[in-house]
Amino acid sequence: MRDLVFVAFLAAIFGMGLRRPFLLVLAYVYIDIVSPQRLTYILLNSVPISLIAVALAVGGWLLMDDKSDSRFTPRQGLIVVLLLYCWATTLGADFPLDAKDKWDWVWKCLAFAAFLPLTLRTRLRIEALLLFMILSAASIIIVGGIKTAAGGGGYGQLDLMVNNNSGLYEGSTISTVAIAIVPLIAWFMRHGTIFRPDWKVKGFCLCLIFACLLIPIGTSTRTGLLCIVLVALLALRNTRRKMLYLTMIGAAALLSVPFLPASFTERMSTIKSHDADESASTRLAVWRWTIDYARAHPFGGGFDAYRGNHIRYEIKTTDGAGPAPDVAERAVVDQARGYHSAYFEMLGEQGYPGLLLWLSISLIGLVRMEVLRRRYRDPAGDFGWAGPLAAALQTAHLVYLLGAAFIAIAFQPFVYMLIGAQIGLDSYLARRRVEAAQVPLRRRKTMDANA
Amino acid sequence: MIDNLSLALTHGLMLLAAWLLLKRPDLDSEAPAPRHWRARRKAPRPAVPDDQPGA
Repeated sequence: MRDLVFVAFLAAIFGMGLRRPFLLVLAYVYIDIVSPQRLTYILLNSVPISLIAVALAVGGWLLMDDKSDSRFTPRQGLIVVLLLYCWATTLGADFPLDAKDKWDWVWKCLAFAAFLPLTLRTRLRIEALLLFMILSAASIIIVGGIKTAAGGGGYGQLDLMVNNNSGLYEGSTISTVAIAIVPLIAWFMRHGTIFRPDWKVKGFCLCLIFACLLIPIGTSTRTGLLCIVLVALLALRNTRRKMLYLTMIGAAALLSVPFLPASFTERMSTIKSHDADESASTRLAVWRWTIDYARAHPFGGGFDAYRGNHIRYEIKTTDGAGPAPDVAERAVVDQARGYHSAYFEMLGEQGYPGLLLWLSISLIGLVRMEVLRRRYRDPAGDFGWAGPLAAALQTAHLVYLLGAAFIAIAFQPFVYMLIGAQIGLDSYLARRRVEAAQVPLRRRKTMDANA
Repeated sequence: MIDNLSLALTHGLMLLAAWLLLKRPDLDSEAPAPRHWRARRKAPRPAVPDDQPGA
């Protein structure tokens, strides 16, 4: 039954895409985030639905869309360079078969990120892209939110419809993404034009933000908690009454503590005691290994190079209570442990050049969004919507960069779509600025001629 | 039950959004002014506001 509904939904979107090719791009965005083929059993998982969608999206753009306003920006160039560099490291990878498996989806993610801004020629397209990204992620977040509120959660326990722990269905990843989109949802509550921000839209957005905040609790991920703190701090920039805001945030945090499940508070308390925690100790050991590995292999070992690691670390175990409990150190030996950090993932797999490219793509985005945030900060101006959108995209990116310190999500497609939206917004506003600068010049000439 | 409710809600909203986008001309173009000089000649001239010197 669910299969038929998904097929009908996709058929409807593809059908509408024949009239407006940009809807085909949105269809691919939806498929890439939700992966409906994983939620069904018969129909969709027997056809390469993702391939069909991307062929339709690119084909629709090539054949039917106007390309006069499309611009290829330097940051898209960097993404293409990163794509080619990854291809080169895959050819000489330490583990060729595993590397090829990862390459098969990474190249699609990067190629789509370079392509996406070409289609974002109007404000409405940027808004539509973000709306589809949010609603697609919401189909997982709402499930997680309701189940958390109903008491079903825990680290690696929250049932998010799919149990294979990949893509956005992985606990830490969905925590980071759910918190990253909170400022974007808040933007839709004031500036949305597809769904006008009336009481129904605002009510839905508030409920969705609440569900987003519940995800780190439901998945008991420490990364998610850090991301919430970062969003709360960054929101201070846009608040007029800063003291009132801080007081309200503090009060809300205190009031929520009694409602938090014990599994969540227990896991959060391990943030401070990393030397007694196996997960944190593994990370530190793997990161040390990666730094040494990069010294010997400055150009990286290709995808999945972590499979070659052998690590040994010690964790402290405490027996008994009281003022002087017995503390013993236990040695743990492990191998082929994942990076648990996008920065070290890039360093180990793509070496220093890859890490530099990856960081440049992110840092340039952050700087450009800051420029736009300041340039369009006047809410009464023609582009009063653009400043807050740049701020929201910047906050989302910062949350990702924080989450990425603890999860190996260097090539998370959702984030590359956010980067695509940033590039699209930037080039759209640059074009409009040039057009706006040309109009007074023309008018000035007319006035001179008439004088 | 919760899964289907969430999927129905978000997919319904996406369908509605796509339907609303179909009816929005500014999805594909914000500047209707033609660029080519031939097309520009055929297009009606924009009215000059009263407060401008050329009026």
